[in-house]
Amino acid sequence: MLNKRRFAIVSSIGISALLTGCATNAPQDTWQPKGPNSKLIDDLQQPVFAVAGVIGLIVAVAVTYTIIKYRDRGQPIPEQIHGKPALEITLTIIPALILAVVAVFTFGAIFKLAKTDDTEMIINVTGQQWWWEYDYPVQNEYGITQPIITSGQLVMPVGTKVLLRETSRDVIHSYWIPALNGKRDAVPGRVHTLRLEADEPGIYAGQCTEFCGLSHANMRMEAVALSKEDFAKWVANQQAPYVSPAAGTLAKQGEEVFLNQCVRCHQVNGLTRADGTPAIAAPDENVWSGAAPNLSYFMTRNTFAGAMFDLLSKQCRDEVWNAPSDKIGAKYLEGVTEDCLNQKDLRAWLRNAPEVKPMYANPENLAVSNGKYRGMPYLALSEDDISKLVAYLITLK
Amino acid sequence: MFSTGFKYFFGVTVLSVVALIISLAFFDKLALAGVAISFLIGVGALLAGIAAATSDGTTRDANLDTTETTTQSMWPLVTGIGVVFVVLGLVTSSIVTFGGVVVLLAALSEWMVQAWSERASTDSSFNFSVRKRLLNPIEFPVLAAVGLGVVIFMFSRIMLSVDKATGAVLFIVAGALVLVAGALFAARPNMKRSVGASICVLGALGIGAGGIAGAVSGERKDLVEAAAEGHFTHAECGPEKSKYFDKGSEETLSLRSSALATVTYRDGELFVNIQGLKAEQKTLTVPRSNPSNIIFRNETEGKFRLVAHLGGKKDATDKSHSDETCTQLVEFGAEQSLTLNIPKSSGPDNTYYLFIAGAEEKQIAVVVP
Repeated sequence: MLNKRRFAIVSSIGISALLTGCATNAPQDTWQPKGPNSKLIDDLQQPVFAVAGVIGLIVAVAVTYTIIKYRDRGQPIPEQIHGKPALEITLTIIPALILAVVAVFTFGAIFKLAKTDDTEMIINVTGQQWWWEYDYPVQNEYGITQPIITSGQLVMPVGTKVLLRETSRDVIHSYWIPALNGKRDAVPGRVHTLRLEADEPGIYAGQCTEFCGLSHANMRMEAVALSKEDFAKWVANQQAPYVSPAAGTLAKQGEEVFLNQCVRCHQVNGLTRADGTPAIAAPDENVWSGAAPNLSYFMTRNTFAGAMFDLLSKQCRDEVWNAPSDKIGAKYLEGVTEDCLNQKDLRAWLRNAPEVKPMYANPENLAVSNGKYRGMPYLALSEDDISKLVAYLITLK
Repeated sequence: MFSTGFKYFFGVTVLSVVALIISLAFFDKLALAGVAISFLIGVGALLAGIAAATSDGTTRDANLDTTETTTQSMWPLVTGIGVVFVVLGLVTSSIVTFGGVVVLLAALSEWMVQAWSERASTDSSFNFSVRKRLLNPIEFPVLAAVGLGVVIFMFSRIMLSVDKATGAVLFIVAGALVLVAGALFAARPNMKRSVGASICVLGALGIGAGGIAGAVSGERKDLVEAAAEGHFTHAECGPEKSKYFDKGSEETLSLRSSALATVTYRDGELFVNIQGLKAEQKTLTVPRSNPSNIIFRNETEGKFRLVAHLGGKKDATDKSHSDETCTQLVEFGAEQSLTLNIPKSSGPDNTYYLFIAGAEEKQIAVVVP
């Protein structure tokens, strides 16, 4: 009876684990490559997995058979033999040969994935606790005449060999968009490269894969692949001049709140103070990593807080994510409208960020970080100020 | 009932526990001190246990006549010298205090072990062997390290006082002498100990005397002047003025794989090469608040330095009020790295650029998004 119960429990766990492989809503599935780099990895891992699986199965069956067949039933210990050179050499050579064949293809894939001389576009990627920053150096052939900076969502043209140049401002992070390539560590003081290329327009989800502190699990990223035409539109928009909200509006009041509170860390390109001087953020004086997301064109993104929260309401998000390949660009470029804004999460974030995302932002513990926050602190904003800020942020498109 | 060794180490353990309790009660941050005291407690307890279990290691081999065999000891005198150094250091330099503490600890340890070993039995030769067994494994490595340190220090004084060419010759001669001495010892294993010791003493005396002479005469002129000119702080970013500044700038780099860009000065023009971009650029994008390495390569005849202007303005008299960092002078065909860490985004008030010292019109715009 007991054995049956144990068998049932073990079987249930095994079947449940097996069934997770049937999940359809799995945006970080490593078995569904969407670009040549991930296909290269997939083409390698499929046969290796098959060979390893067959060998693993043979070993498992042999071990199970031996355990059952020769289990201790009080029989005398059989004769112990030592040394069987022919068998030992055979059992050494066979795995060595298998590994040698695997190594040949693996090295080939590694060298192909490390190529940088066929790059068509570069994007600098900087990790910090707990968000990713992307800056696009001047590349006139793509219309990037001044550097573009964004965060949370990497926007790239399809069919283009993009080279990410990764680094970190604080601890080691790791960049991974499973549908587009393998993972690559972002290490402070070093520049590591990672090739990305998407075959079709779409949004591809990823996750930091190097434990980097309290909110490591909330350090997400999304790569948005747009058609070349849509990408050009996105680039043009990211370089458009700043437009201040009209005087007397709630958004204008929000701009003042932003200048008083947020600009200490967050930059909005083109924003000026009342006396006309440019408002330059100083995150190096307030944040441990020395950087906070640049919020210029904030509402052209679909996520915030390290891509932990959606800026779009669920329905609007689904409309973008589930749009057909030829429509997704247009849907994405619409950005966040007032109707689609996920007010609940955005307001909660502005109200008390450390409450909704674990961060070392307790003012009582600042002595250990030289008075600097890791992540966004609690700003004690009034509900009125939050409404003004939301009204202002929605204009940043 | 309890052996002398046990009583001693038990006392050390109890005192350490008291010290730890007091430390916990009165100090917030124990860190290293807490670990050290805890370690002392552990060691004291272990040694107390061993002493109790073996009756100080005396019962099997020793003549246990109760007559004591104490001898004269120099350790009280050395302890006194240590105390003097500690006190002297309080009004002179912390290094003197540190030296005094080291002397004090060494003397107290030696004194305690000597006192303990002399009461192990009435057999003085056995007592001496007990002391040796306990202390030699510590004394020999420590003395060897100290001796080696003295030799290295003295040799460094010699090398810093003589000119570069003489230094190279001295190094070769010293190395050859060590090789000859080693070969001699290996070839004549039956050599008299006194001869071997004499060779070692002569060598040590030679290096010691040379070191003292070098220390008295001081460092060679170019090192002194280079220090005075800020060579080591790398204070000067203008065109070359000094005879000694920038001597021996490095010409090889190991950070090639982690460079943001390579800046080349070719035929009087500056270019930037960025990994992944085929065309040479005239703009460099640098992430804010993140140390970024660039490589400067000089492909123009002559020596040039790359200067990074990191904000601030210059007044009418061209007296620099700007923040600048620069490479050393780089010869034709050579390269050097420069690390930029710019905390603020570019803007009308924050203009950043790279230029060649003495030819400021040759610029590369640095954009910090």
